[in-house]
Amino acid sequence: MAASISGYTFSSVCYHSANSNADHEGFLLGDVRQEETVSISDTQISSAELLQVVEIHHHDPCAQLFSFYDYAGKVSEESLNSILKDRRKNVIGWYRFRRNTQQQMSFREQIIHKQLTQLLGVPDLVFLLFSFISTANSSTHALEYVLFRPNRSRYNQRITLSIPNLGNTSQQEYKVSSVPNTSLNYAKVIKEHGAEFFDKDGVMKDIRTIFQVYSALQDKLQAVCGEVEQSERVKEKIQEEVNKLKQQIALRKRKTAEEERRLREAQNADSHSTPEENTEPCEGSPLSGITFPTPSAPERPSTSPNPPSYTDLMSQDDSLLPSSSPPTSAALLPRPQAVGSPGHPTPGPTVMGLGLGHGLGLGLSASSNPVTTPSTPYLGNGDGSSSDSLDRQAAGQEDDDDEEEDDEDEDSSEYENLVSEGAHLPMVSASVLAQGRPAALSPDGDAHGSQAT
Amino acid sequence: MNNMSPEVALHRISPELRPLLCSVVRNGRVGLDSTNCLRVTDLKTGCTSLTPGPCCDRFKLHIPYAGETLKWDIIFNARYPELPPDFIFGEDAEFLPEPSELPHLVHWDAGNPECLLQLVKELIQQYHHYQCLRLRESSRLLFEYDSLLEDPNYGRNMEIYAGRKNSWTGEFSARFLLKLPVDFSNIPIYLLKDTALDPGEDVALLSVSFEDAEATQVFPKLYLSPSIEHALGGSSALHIPAFPSGGCLIDYVPQVCQLLTNKVQYVIQGYHKRREYIAAFLSHFGTGVVEYDAEGFTKLTLLLMWKDFCFLVHVDLPLYFPRDQPTLTFQSVYHFTNSGQLYSQVQKSYPYSPRWDGNEMAKRANSYLRSCQSGLLRCLFILSG
Repeated sequence: MAASISGYTFSSVCYHSANSNADHEGFLLGDVRQEETVSISDTQISSAELLQVVEIHHHDPCAQLFSFYDYAGKVSEESLNSILKDRRKNVIGWYRFRRNTQQQMSFREQIIHKQLTQLLGVPDLVFLLFSFISTANSSTHALEYVLFRPNRSRYNQRITLSIPNLGNTSQQEYKVSSVPNTSLNYAKVIKEHGAEFFDKDGVMKDIRTIFQVYSALQDKLQAVCGEVEQSERVKEKIQEEVNKLKQQIALRKRKTAEEERRLREAQNADSHSTPEENTEPCEGSPLSGITFPTPSAPERPSTSPNPPSYTDLMSQDDSLLPSSSPPTSAALLPRPQAVGSPGHPTPGPTVMGLGLGHGLGLGLSASSNPVTTPSTPYLGNGDGSSSDSLDRQAAGQEDDDDEEEDDEDEDSSEYENLVSEGAHLPMVSASVLAQGRPAALSPDGDAHGSQAT
Repeated sequence: MNNMSPEVALHRISPELRPLLCSVVRNGRVGLDSTNCLRVTDLKTGCTSLTPGPCCDRFKLHIPYAGETLKWDIIFNARYPELPPDFIFGEDAEFLPEPSELPHLVHWDAGNPECLLQLVKELIQQYHHYQCLRLRESSRLLFEYDSLLEDPNYGRNMEIYAGRKNSWTGEFSARFLLKLPVDFSNIPIYLLKDTALDPGEDVALLSVSFEDAEATQVFPKLYLSPSIEHALGGSSALHIPAFPSGGCLIDYVPQVCQLLTNKVQYVIQGYHKRREYIAAFLSHFGTGVVEYDAEGFTKLTLLLMWKDFCFLVHVDLPLYFPRDQPTLTFQSVYHFTNSGQLYSQVQKSYPYSPRWDGNEMAKRANSYLRSCQSGLLRCLFILSG
């Protein structure tokens, strides 16, 4: 059992006692509560400790001695009621002050205590004994106090009485006592001014405001998350297209190089024989360019050791064309057409203005529009000049500018052809080419028959 | 201040309470051991320290009981002297008398100076009951108590102190203090008058301590009031028998009682015998008697003459005369020793029998003195020469 008394109650009792010129007594009002401490240890055996805590909130001094009992120590219930009135139910003990005596319950105190226990119906009624001990020359006066619970066994009677914050509070924390503040004035003031701090539910207003700010921040954050996700996806798509375009450019370069080489060889060969037969594989003719009856394997950006024949490639291209539609919103690949005909396929989305990273480095658009706009279908003119420039820029941006320009210069004359010829190729990814599909189609004509016309 | 004389205590106490304390310290005899009166110590005040004195209203009262001294705190209030006191019963924390058994408390009258003393007596009575109840913890001792209680000689004058049980060993001890019903009234007064203290009542108390509940360690002790002790020849003269193992008080106490009674009788008889002896000597030696102890009859001085040589004879009668032989001391009236004393010679062996009556002893002494006169005196003459 533990007991506590607030500092002001204790000092009030001491004040009353010290100022009395005789013994002094009164009642203690307060509360008794049970505290249960459950301690859990590694051994999984939890032990519960029950502690009874007596809290003394007030004291009610008696005006004089023998006010509720007679010479024989018999307690009169009427006098008790007239003293306590409606505070009777709050009585948890009584106290007595006597100077220069032992810290032991006296004969009459024990008799009274027994009767009070019965009359008040408090089984663990406590008794607080104060005594003032003075030295002979009155130089030192000591106030001693002991809290008894006389209804227990003889050897277990004294309880420690703690007074919170009686000590050096600069080094210890100032403890807020659980003794409730029952002052009427305090309650009144708090009620008056409480509306400034508390809302109708009793929650502090500041807390609500802060919570609102927090919620708003959370919402915004969620929205931004969504936006980030979308832009990331767009970026991903563009990155894919850029990669494809790069592949196309590389392929075209190889083809160009290959054609030049063949041309030179053909020219060398022509000098020895008739050139007519050998003009077929002239790159300039789009029709011939379509079939590309070159003995050598076409350049392709694949690493396959067995490159298929070009006819196979073309047939593959055609057959693949519909299925290899780009994930972008670009239009289907246009059919191979004669040079100068409109409807050049679009190599890919042209306008991609992503305000995000600069990795793509599309010089076409520098807009910071976060929303991806679907690219307009590539509609070039007959010669594809405008589209050419776009293509060039789209595909070759990552290369050096010089190189790009060179490419442009180099390919400017043949670019038209390339465009028409390469029309079949651009969407074919390297992986497809590398797979080396068997030539299911007959060479020359059949597969392209429809297209060639 | 611990050992306070009663007067000092009375001086320091608050004036309104003085009469009450007066009767306690001056006339307070409580219990069997009335030679030890009640003592007051540790006078303190319940008023503030600024109150001018004398204002003491609380003190410790020392009460002899069953061989122990009870130290009870008595608490008054000087500001309210009409109110009855409160008590703290020292180490007897479990002693809680029923207030209804204390009429002087219930009807406390501060105007009656004897009120406090009477209240203390009532409390002692209750304390006695309390101690007797505690005896129930040991059946053996309870039996002792009950058996003594039945005997009217002892039952009414008994104090029991059931000592503190030793909680470690579980031992239980008790002390019985019994007033022995021995008649001391016939002891000659002269034996009693030498005591410095006011003798008060002559009493013999037997204290029997049981150190264990089975009565295997029993220590009896006899306490006599100082005058009786002196009359009987001092504490060393009286030995009581040891408590027989397996015996009980109801047998032992009468035994001691008888012994004491015999001793007293012997002393009384001795007195009479001495008186008889002296009377006989007086009649035999007549005018030769210089002086004699007329109260206790312990000394007799004779002046004898032989052939113009005078000498004194001192007769000293011991306490246990006639068992012990009187001592004769011859003293010269003329001669001094080197140390300035009169020359004297002690004679202890001479014909004597305790069975002779006083007259016979006087006659025999007379004849002895005559017979040894010549030889003795010759010695004296030569030595003094």
